[in-house]
Amino acid sequence: MNNDDPRKAVLVVILVALVCSFLVSASIVLLAPIKQENEMLVRGQNILSQTGWVEQTNPPDREAMLLMLEKLDSRLLDINESVFSDAFSIEEFNERRAASNPQTSHTISSEFDTAGLGRRSRYVVVHLIWSNEKQLQRIILPVYGAGMWSTLYGYIALDATDFNTVASALFYEQAETPGLGDKIEDSGWLAQWQGRKIYNTSGRVSFRVAEGRVEPGTTAAVHQVDGLTGATVTASAVTNLVQYWFGKDGYLPFLQSLNKTKLKPAGGLSESSESVISPGIVVSTGSVVSKGSVVSPGTVNSPASLNINKEDPQ
Amino acid sequence: MNSFFEIFLRAVFIENLALAYFLGMCTFLAVSKKISTTVGLGAAVILVEGLSVPINNIIYQGLLKEGALEWAGLGELDLSYLGLLSAIGVIAAMVQVLEMVLNKFFPSLYHSLGIYLPLLTVNCAILGASLFMMQREMTLGQSVAYGLGTGTGWAIAIIGLAGLREKMKFSDIPEGLEGLGITFVTAGIMSLAFMAISGINV
Amino acid sequence: MSASDTLTRPLLRENPVTFHVLGICSALAITNSLNSALIMSLALTCVLVLSNASISLIRKHLPGSVRIIIQITVIASAVTIVDELLSAFLPDVARTLSVYISLIVTNCIVLGRAEACAMSQPVRKAVLDAVGNGLGFSLVLISVAVIRELFGSGSLLGYQILELVSNGGWYQPNEMMLLPPSAFFIVAGLVWLNRTWYKEQVEKPDFKPASVEVDEIYSS
Repeated sequence: MNNDDPRKAVLVVILVALVCSFLVSASIVLLAPIKQENEMLVRGQNILSQTGWVEQTNPPDREAMLLMLEKLDSRLLDINESVFSDAFSIEEFNERRAASNPQTSHTISSEFDTAGLGRRSRYVVVHLIWSNEKQLQRIILPVYGAGMWSTLYGYIALDATDFNTVASALFYEQAETPGLGDKIEDSGWLAQWQGRKIYNTSGRVSFRVAEGRVEPGTTAAVHQVDGLTGATVTASAVTNLVQYWFGKDGYLPFLQSLNKTKLKPAGGLSESSESVISPGIVVSTGSVVSKGSVVSPGTVNSPASLNINKEDPQ
Repeated sequence: MNSFFEIFLRAVFIENLALAYFLGMCTFLAVSKKISTTVGLGAAVILVEGLSVPINNIIYQGLLKEGALEWAGLGELDLSYLGLLSAIGVIAAMVQVLEMVLNKFFPSLYHSLGIYLPLLTVNCAILGASLFMMQREMTLGQSVAYGLGTGTGWAIAIIGLAGLREKMKFSDIPEGLEGLGITFVTAGIMSLAFMAISGINV
Repeated sequence: MSASDTLTRPLLRENPVTFHVLGICSALAITNSLNSALIMSLALTCVLVLSNASISLIRKHLPGSVRIIIQITVIASAVTIVDELLSAFLPDVARTLSVYISLIVTNCIVLGRAEACAMSQPVRKAVLDAVGNGLGFSLVLISVAVIRELFGSGSLLGYQILELVSNGGWYQPNEMMLLPPSAFFIVAGLVWLNRTWYKEQVEKPDFKPASVEVDEIYSS
C-alpha cells in the first residue's frame, strides 16, 4: 500500500497504538510486584523513623522492620469527632482513596484551607508509641498539603508530655524542584524540627519555616526551622500545612481531648489484662477519647495542658 | 484556589510557566527575535492551552482516574499511569486538527503562525500544564481558568523577552555572545525579576 | 558521515543544547546537584536510543500526515517504560527527578532527533546518533551541574569539597548558584565558549555600531 493512502495511515496508527499500549501495560504489570514491595518497605521505614526506636544511620533489615511494625499501636482516628473509630480496618484503609470519596471525606471551608487541599479524609491512621511503663511517649500524625509542584506527604510526631513539642518530622513523598524544594526531605533540615513547639502560649499555631536562618535567642526561634534557599513556595507550603493540620479544622480538638483523657495501649504492647484489646481495633474502655469526659488532672498523661503551657519560653 | 479569577491570576504571574517553572524554554529562546511573531505564537499557545487542559481534564476525570470507571463495573481500575500518554496524545492531535482548521477557515492567521504551530506539540509548557492539572485534581471549570492562565502567562513572558531583544539590537555585544548567548543572559535576568513575586498568596 | 563522526559531532560542534538550543528546560531545572544531572542524562540517553531505534525500524511505513503523532506516541511509551523501570529498581532516584522524567517526552532533543535522523537513517546509524546526542546533552548537563553544585553548596555528589563557613570552614556558598536563573548565565557562558572555538557558529549581528577611531574623537 502507498504511504499516502488514508487506509494505511489508519492501519499504522492503530498498530502503533496497540504495540505501544501493550508494551507500556506489560512493563507496568510486570514491575508492579517489585514496586509494591519497594513501597511497603519505604512506608515501613518512614513510620519507624518517627518512632524513635531506630537509628537514622542504621536502618533495620527487612525482617526486623516487619517485627517492629507489628508492635506498632496503629489506630484509625476520626478527625471530625476526635475519637478513635473502627469504621475501617487499618490494613485496608487507604487515606487517599478516602479523601476523594464524599462519604469518607470532609470539605475544608476556604477560611481554614491554608494547605490548599479542598477536601481531606475524615479518617487518618495515627500511631501511638508507648514506653515500657505503658506511658504514652509520642503520637505520630500524618500531614499533607499542596506544595509548588505536588502534594507533600509527611508525618509529624508530637511528644506526649505536652502534645506540643515536635519529637520528629518527616516528609516522605513530594515532587518538588529537585535540589531546591526537595530539601524538605533532607535529614539535616528535618532534624531541626525536633524540640520545636507547634503552639505558642496562647494556643495558636505558631510553627513556621523561617525566611533565611532562624535567629537563635529570639522568642520566635522555638517555633521556627531554617528556611530553604530558593524554595520559598515549598517552604511556605510547609508552614501552611502545619497551620492547617494543627488548627481547629485539623488535630487541635483531638489533641485537646488527649490532654483530658488517659489513653491506654492496645493489646500489642500491653501485658495487663484489662487493656488487652486486639491491635488496631478500639474498644470503649479508656482507649476512646471520649468527648466531654472529665478526668481528674492526676490521671492525665501530660502534666501541662495544651493551652496553658507555662513552660513555653515565650 | 477557589475563584476562577484567582487561579487565572496565579497562573499568569506567580506560577508563570516560563519564568518560574522554566517550561517551554526551547521555543522561548529560539523564537523570540521579533515582537510580531511572538504575538502570533503567544496567541497559539493560549488557544492550545485553553483547549487541551480542559479536554485532558475530561479524559482524566472520566476515564483514567482511580475509580473513574465505576459505571462500567471497573471501579478498582486505576489507569492514572496512562495520564502522560493520553495528555501528549491529545495535545499532538489537537495541534494537528487546529492546523487543518486554521488552514481551511483562517488562512491569514495560519500563515502568520507558520512553522510555530506544529512546534507547539513539543512545548513542555503545554504538557506541563496538563500534568499539573491532573496532579492538582482540578474541576472542569478550574481547568479552563488554569489553561487560559498558563497560556497567557507564557505569552506575556515571550512577548516581554522579544521586546527586550528588539531593543538590544543596537547594543555592542562581545563577539560570540551575540544572539543565543545574550538571550540566555537576558532570560536569566528576567526570571530573577519574576522570582521577586513568587510565593505571593493571592 | 562516518560512524565515529555521527557519534562525536553532537558532543561539541553540534551540541544539542548549545548549538541547536534543544532540551533547555531540564538543563536549567535539575542541574543544581550533580547526582540528579547524572541520572537525568542516563534516562534521557536511554529514551533517545529506544525511540530513535524503534522509529527508525518503522520509518518506511510512516505516512507523512500522522508521523508526528506516531513519533510522540512511541516516545511517550519509551518514557513511561523508563520511568517505571527507574521507580522499580532505583526508587530513591525516581523520586528525586519526579516530573522531569515525564517531561522528557517534550524534551525537544528526542523529537528533534526522531524527525531529523531516525526518519531517514537505518537503525544502526540512528542508534549511534542517539548515543552521540545523549552524550552531548549529558556533557552540558554535567558541566553546568558541577559548577552549580561546587559553588552553590561547596560539594560534589554530596561530598563536601569546599568547607562551608556554617560548618567552620572558609567557603561562603554562593546561594545564587542554587537558583535556576544561574543556569541561564552558565549556559550562556558555555555557548560563548563553544562559539569562540567554532567561529563559524557566531550569529551575524543585525546592526553594527559605527566604528569611530579613538584618535578622531580626540582630534575633533
